[in-house]
Amino acid sequence: MKSIIIVKLDDVIDCSTVDVLFLIIDLNLQESKMHDSSQLKKEFIKKWVQGLQICCSSKRQMSILERKRNIKLSADIALASAKNATTSWSKALISEAKKDREKNILVDNLLGHESKFMGAHQKVTSHNRIRSKKILRRSCGIGKRIKKMGYRRSDSPTCIAKRLVKKRTQVLKRLVPGGESMDEFSIITEALDYILSLRVQVDVMKNIVNATNLLN
Amino acid sequence: MSSRRSRQSSSSASRITDDQIIQLISKLQQLLPGTRIQRSNKASASKVLQETCNYVRSLHREVDDLSDRLSQLLSTIDADSPEASIIRSLIM
Repeated sequence: MKSIIIVKLDDVIDCSTVDVLFLIIDLNLQESKMHDSSQLKKEFIKKWVQGLQICCSSKRQMSILERKRNIKLSADIALASAKNATTSWSKALISEAKKDREKNILVDNLLGHESKFMGAHQKVTSHNRIRSKKILRRSCGIGKRIKKMGYRRSDSPTCIAKRLVKKRTQVLKRLVPGGESMDEFSIITEALDYILSLRVQVDVMKNIVNATNLLN
Repeated sequence: MSSRRSRQSSSSASRITDDQIIQLISKLQQLLPGTRIQRSNKASASKVLQETCNYVRSLHREVDDLSDRLSQLLSTIDADSPEASIIRSLIM
């Protein structure tokens, strides 16, 4: 792949940025093994490049740390927005970024007109969902506790396995954006999609880093 | 809807969703790096979840590391080379 980049970029020194953009998209797509992810890759690359132009093109000197923060934020927001609000994790990622005071303005710039619609909606629903789940847990927990005290089978292998699964699920909930308010079924489906999307993000970033490295 | 589900007996509710969860776990297993021999799903569900958590964490670390490298590369680009102007006009 490296040699292809060198040859092709030599040819395109006179071309516009759009041509180079499509070139990089093309190189990325040739490598993708799964067809489902190629659409996501296209969207992600487009949005990430736009995002980088917005947040990294300031005339003033940025510290390396600040630039890294902008690169990572624009990559995450681009990935989430490329999902087009079809998954919970992507909506949660964007709304969490908007809650952060430092990132808020940048996120609005990156998302443009979509941002107002996405952020406000998510805040209300997740808050209500968490509140109602807490009330539910409190009312059901007492009944369950009384039942359990009658017959404890905590040593059976099924119970141990179930407890382990519960523990691991809790950890996974913290890793996937918005996972805290998901039930067991949703967290696994969301994690599936989240992993596929993270892979796309890593693939694209790797290619861009390699290309930039070669040109240095 | 969730309140209705909780009032059903816990065993019947878990019987309905268990198969779906088993299917999901096997899908997760296929995503994870390192091929694994198909074991009985119930026993390794927690293992698959643990590997999933590790994998997500490693992907997060990779994104962080790549952002680091990219920011260092972009800050050290020689201002005058024509290649640099491509990169700069593309992503900066």
